[in-house]
Amino acid sequence: MSTMTLDAAERTESARSELTGKKVAVSQAEVRKTVGQPFSDTAKLRMRDVNVFYGESQAIHNVSLDIGRNEVVAMIGPSGCGKSTFLRCLNRMNDTIEGCRVEGELSLDGEPIYGAKVDVVPLRARVGMVFQKPNPFPKTIYENVVYGPKIHGIASRRADLDEIVENSLRRAGLWNEVKDRLDKPGTGLSGGQQQRLCIARAIAVSPEVILMDEPCSALDPIATARIEELIDELRENYTIAIVTHSMQQAARVSQRTAYFHLGHLVEVNDTETVFTNPEHELTEAYITGRFG
Amino acid sequence: MTNLTQTQVRERIEKNLASRHRTEKLFRGLGIASIAFGVLAVVILFSDIIGKGSGAFMQASIQLEVHYDTEVLGIDQVDDESLTWANFSGVIRQALRERFPSVTGRSDKRELYTLVSSGAPFTLRDRLAENPELLGKSEVVWFAADDDVDTFIKSLKDSKEGFRGRTSDQKAGWIEQLLETGELKKRFNTIFFTNGDSREPEQAGIRAALMGSLFTLLVTLALSFPIGVAAAIYLEEYAPKNRWTDLIEVNINNLAAVPSIVFGLLGLAIFINFFELPRSAPLVGGLVLTLMTLPTIIISSRAALKAVPPSIREAAMGMGASRMQVVFHHVLPLAMPGMLTGAIIGMAQALGETAPLLMIGMVAFIVDVPGGVTDPATVLPVQIFLWADSPERAFVERTSAAIMVLLSVLILMNASAVMLRKKLERRW
Amino acid sequence: MEMHFDQHISRQFNEDLEGIKTEMLEMGGMVARQVADAVDALSNADSQLAEEVLRIEEEIDRREMALDEHATLIIAKRQPAASDLRMVMSVIRIARDLERIGDEASKIAKMAIALTDEGTSPRGYTEIRHLANAVRKMLNDALDAYTRFDVESAMHTLAEDEQVDMDYRTAVRELVTYMMEDPRSISRVINVLWTLRALERIGDHAKNICEQVVYLVEGADIRHGHLRNLKQS
Repeated sequence: MSTMTLDAAERTESARSELTGKKVAVSQAEVRKTVGQPFSDTAKLRMRDVNVFYGESQAIHNVSLDIGRNEVVAMIGPSGCGKSTFLRCLNRMNDTIEGCRVEGELSLDGEPIYGAKVDVVPLRARVGMVFQKPNPFPKTIYENVVYGPKIHGIASRRADLDEIVENSLRRAGLWNEVKDRLDKPGTGLSGGQQQRLCIARAIAVSPEVILMDEPCSALDPIATARIEELIDELRENYTIAIVTHSMQQAARVSQRTAYFHLGHLVEVNDTETVFTNPEHELTEAYITGRFG
Repeated sequence: MTNLTQTQVRERIEKNLASRHRTEKLFRGLGIASIAFGVLAVVILFSDIIGKGSGAFMQASIQLEVHYDTEVLGIDQVDDESLTWANFSGVIRQALRERFPSVTGRSDKRELYTLVSSGAPFTLRDRLAENPELLGKSEVVWFAADDDVDTFIKSLKDSKEGFRGRTSDQKAGWIEQLLETGELKKRFNTIFFTNGDSREPEQAGIRAALMGSLFTLLVTLALSFPIGVAAAIYLEEYAPKNRWTDLIEVNINNLAAVPSIVFGLLGLAIFINFFELPRSAPLVGGLVLTLMTLPTIIISSRAALKAVPPSIREAAMGMGASRMQVVFHHVLPLAMPGMLTGAIIGMAQALGETAPLLMIGMVAFIVDVPGGVTDPATVLPVQIFLWADSPERAFVERTSAAIMVLLSVLILMNASAVMLRKKLERRW
Repeated sequence: MEMHFDQHISRQFNEDLEGIKTEMLEMGGMVARQVADAVDALSNADSQLAEEVLRIEEEIDRREMALDEHATLIIAKRQPAASDLRMVMSVIRIARDLERIGDEASKIAKMAIALTDEGTSPRGYTEIRHLANAVRKMLNDALDAYTRFDVESAMHTLAEDEQVDMDYRTAVRELVTYMMEDPRSISRVINVLWTLRALERIGDHAKNICEQVVYLVEGADIRHGHLRNLKQS
């Protein structure tokens, strides 16, 4: 796969030099250094020199990035650029993948994420995740929301659970739509509602960070707009990292945008800068829809 | 490809269209033909079995007025001891002599006595044991007729003469006489369902085999389902993918294809010779069948686990559920219908199995209905095998009847598999 | 940074962007000629040429509206980002500047008609010609810089505006002395003053165009004195 992308890159380069008569200088060395502002003073998540391998092949090369408190960081890039892989490192969802190896320094509030002594169960309670496809459990709406609090032993009394359900659903902007059918299956909701249920389920355990892996890719524009609005509201209380294929979405919901290319973090900058005047040639090419 | 105009392309497509439709029709025809063949085979099989076996559910019975004569019986009170040695056959013979007073000769009388089943005295003993006040009184009792009588009157339908076999003209005359007066007629055959095996067809029933099958299956289910599911869960959810698990997987698939008789030999060598478990016991049969059905259950359970969408696993894991919680809260409930179906199919397979049970002695002639997993027993398919081997003509229909019972149990099990699946399946 | 507007995956997008750029430059060409014609009409007392300038003005307005519409459509359909977005924005802004320049040219043409009717007077015309040459050069240079995405040349042209402003102030002072010397010439000199004022405005718009070149290429907004910021960074 990597050879194929390399070929494509070479072809694009030669096409460019034909058109402009100049060799565009996008060497591999240039890709390896992240431009912009990857670091933050209020870092909630701190990643330094992260390398991820799938067996022999390397999926992420030396990525360093901070995700600040109450900040929404969008990760964009072409398919297979490693943005989802990187996101999944943050709550160790890659652990289950056979042959996946993560190197580097990753920490949440200064506490290491990887390490022999780190238990993933409390980590995942602190770092929640929302997936590409809405995936509510085939249980009732109520059971979906209380599942996290139950397994983590946050609450067990009915009244407490009721409160958690109402709060979480309210925050996810779903309460008014489902309050009369909490005992109905979560899978009976519409796609957008299901995704908001998944968000409610994630925030029911009061996480500190929410990771979103293309949360709107299966939704229609109206449902997407609702989720985006929700992300904006959630920013007050949570730190959010979102992977998206929609550049407009990244532009709308995030404060900073990170552009990944072939496993390298090419550029991180204020979202405004990235979308009006990106620093890196490759970012420019990607967000404007050029061959890159 | 040369450049074609759109009309040229359309012409070519239309030219092809006819042959494409033809192939389509041909293929559909082939499909229908193969289904028709299958249906025909099933229809022939069932009509043959039902045609042969349905007769076994009716049994020729003879009505006799018996007198519980204390003298003839040789007892003056009813208790366990006296019942064992009371002369009930004498009472029946007396009743037969009274019904046919014209029969006098010794050999004629002996022939007369063969009208009723040799099991008739036991029928009488059971009646008296239940109603001790009948001693010294008379009553009208229906006795099972001898299998020759049964075969003869059942064959009368097909031809005027009927199948005589060992039946003499004189005996045929008596039978016709009894038929005319309604003292001999076909009644529902309860013996078939309540008795164990017997050398006398009219006394032979499938109860023992059915119970044997039941006990064997219980042992099989109790062992193979938990073991199979646990193995499947481990292999699917926990085991690392390496050479060892590959080896195990290949071997499980191989085991599913091992001839069942090999499992029988294994059972004989290990369970009976080494562990010295009782021969002919449902316990050993169940153990052997467990070995045989395990691969089926493991394979189908793994398929069921694989079919659970990974998104559910991810969702649970993302919530911070531990591996076991993921499996038990989410994966297992969704995989359960598939696992149960697999188990029931495995059980159905075990129910129909004969060969391995022959090796561990479940082929013995067993008259008593087994009361537990360690009692000697036989199973339905073995019983069918035994009956099919018997010379008496009346066993032919009993063989078919037993097949019908076996098939009904199988249909029942498979139907319950479908029902269970429908009920448990949560496709919200 | 290199500017490539011909490398989008969508060929239609390439053509759309190229289209508005071409439309804008054509409009620029028309406006530049309009300015030249207006100044010529004035200095040669050619009222016919002045009428022609006024007639072209309508065409310019029509083109500005068309260009606006095309740019709007690109935004609606393509949601351009980064350099594409700056390209569309700069085209829209420059079109407005060009339209204003056209307005100023018409004013000059009207002045030419008025001055021709009153009879020619050589006073003040030297200043007009001098300023007009400087402004026309600025406008042409600005459009050239845009065509070539040439920031250096744009910055150079930008700096020329100060000279134009100075020339304008000098001319005004001179014309004021004329008026004091000969109060009868006041009304005519005021017309000359208006013309100079129009030329000075054209210079300002040319400066705006240069600013858009910088914006398009560097992504930096240097309007309203932000030039210093750019130089610092």
